[in-house]
Amino acid sequence: MTLQALLIVASALIGLGLYGVLSQQSFVMLMMGFELILNGVLLMTMAFWSFGSAGAPKGQLLAILVMAVMALEMAIGFALVTAVYRQRQADTTEALDTLKH
Amino acid sequence: MNDLISGIDIAFWALAAIAVLSGWRVFATDSMVRASFLLLLSFMAVAGIMLLLAAPYIGVATIFMMAVEMMVMAVFMVMFMMNPAGLNPMSMVHQQPLAIGAGVVAFIGLSAAVLTSPLPDQPVAADHRAIHALGIEMLGDSMLIFESAGVALLSAMIGSVILSSRSGRFGPADPGSRPPGLCEGGLPAGSVPDENKNHGMGHGMQHDTPNAAPQDTHGAHGAQGS
Amino acid sequence: MNAATAVGATLLLMLGGAWLVAVFDRIAAALVARRPVGSLWLGPLQSGASLLVSRTNQTEHPDALNWALAPALYLVLAFVGVALVPFSTSGALVDIPAGIVLWGAVESLTVVAVFLHGWSANALFPLLGAYRYVAVGLPIMLVSMFVLIAAALPAQSLALGAIVQSQAGLWNVVRQPLGLPLFLLLGLSLTLRGPFNYADSADLAGGTDAERSGPPRAVWQWARLSMAVSFSAMAATVFLGGPLGPAWGTAELGPLWLTLKTAVVLALLVAASHLLARMPPSRMLTLLWTVLLPLSFVGLVAAGIEAAP
Repeated sequence: MTLQALLIVASALIGLGLYGVLSQQSFVMLMMGFELILNGVLLMTMAFWSFGSAGAPKGQLLAILVMAVMALEMAIGFALVTAVYRQRQADTTEALDTLKH
Repeated sequence: MNDLISGIDIAFWALAAIAVLSGWRVFATDSMVRASFLLLLSFMAVAGIMLLLAAPYIGVATIFMMAVEMMVMAVFMVMFMMNPAGLNPMSMVHQQPLAIGAGVVAFIGLSAAVLTSPLPDQPVAADHRAIHALGIEMLGDSMLIFESAGVALLSAMIGSVILSSRSGRFGPADPGSRPPGLCEGGLPAGSVPDENKNHGMGHGMQHDTPNAAPQDTHGAHGAQGS
Repeated sequence: MNAATAVGATLLLMLGGAWLVAVFDRIAAALVARRPVGSLWLGPLQSGASLLVSRTNQTEHPDALNWALAPALYLVLAFVGVALVPFSTSGALVDIPAGIVLWGAVESLTVVAVFLHGWSANALFPLLGAYRYVAVGLPIMLVSMFVLIAAALPAQSLALGAIVQSQAGLWNVVRQPLGLPLFLLLGLSLTLRGPFNYADSADLAGGTDAERSGPPRAVWQWARLSMAVSFSAMAATVFLGGPLGPAWGTAELGPLWLTLKTAVVLALLVAASHLLARMPPSRMLTLLWTVLLPLSFVGLVAAGIEAAP
């Protein structure tokens, strides 16, 4: 369990999440992809905390902030999804085409 | 430490495999409820890795938070996705080659950055009191950061309630809160709620005009009759 | 106490405790309905055995994997809860510095297990039970976390061993009077009992368990009873001092005191589940968010002020 191995695993999670964000049509699946990206970021943060900073407390604080960002993004994201659905009955990204050329 | 592969290494690779595999299966499964709980499994594997990294609080708090989040996500999946139980095969993807390419490029780019840059090497001590240090830091030197995160969470709570309230910002939410139609632009399955109540609120002025016309004809007929 | 005896003691506590909860249930039902109680001690074993030889029901297109995994997850969570509890002053089976937070993870994963159990059946009443339970089970978890943080404040630690040590002078049930009643409500929710039984209730014809029969139903009911034991052991540790007893012979008699206190909390739990009034989910949600959560805040602030140096 070296720092490189941890960071490569986290990069795999970020790559998977990016694939999800770009490929999914549905809003909810898009948010799942974003959660995967943040999962990878969280793992990277804790890897650097454990191997690179001799346990500096600000590393754990950054991890807690990443978790807070996850919660924030999910809450506002789902509120927006609900509001968009009520306004336009759109539950996929393809259905929102008012800005399309 | 003299062993080539120690127990911690085996545990780490097993948990890493679970995290990446379940993360991939999130987007490859038909059942949407299973997708959200597969994401929960991925998070729990990452939390297990964090427990191996000697961060007990962050690891267990990740499990705690993500269980609740994925539970709410499952409820929203059933609300907004058309195939919650996976009874039909489905694939709702767009720009798939671009997405795969972007994911692979991101992974390769980040891994190349990891492998080529000089990484620091200051491992945390085995008897480090991580929770104590986190507590002292969070409520001492970094109190402002912590409180700002709290205020941000509060504003997100207020914002999400306002955005999704029943008396919405741009009019009441009831007319829009109906399931999608069975065909494009058609009626939804099941009974359609009574529309007259909602029309009365926004179109009250227009009701007078259609009612006025019969009265005119009645008056004309009456005038002709008498 | 080495690992093998610790695992054995944990399993013994869980099995014996589950049996005791079933017996208490029969006594409470007999007292409330003023009926003769029948075979008190063998009754639970008989009904469990009859379930084990019944035929397993099937529904149309269930989520078979999750339907089988949900009771197993519930059982594993109950085991984790009991494993966290320190049997004596020497330690617990799972001794991590963030024991209270791991119990919180057990609580939230219980909600996931009950939802999966109701969802996987692909039937109406189980699904209704699962949804109602999620709506009520998540907020009551917040109440319990504030109560547990209030109990962790005098101990200045999140570890259960330190919380037990902090009660050497005064038990938390006396020092923080709001703690144990609010925690009992969480216990009702975790074990799907009483006013918090929105998942398996009689008005849903059995709820998440409605379409189940045979051995899987036996496992689910056994998991509910085991979770009652797990919750009671945790409540006894956090509020009643756990393995602490009178000054003499504490190290050897620790498990005995813990078992006695667990039995007391079990009796309280069963009494609460049969005596508290039921209410519709909307009223329960109002009660939770407007009364119980502010009460737990008040308890937390009081505990913080008292624990401040």
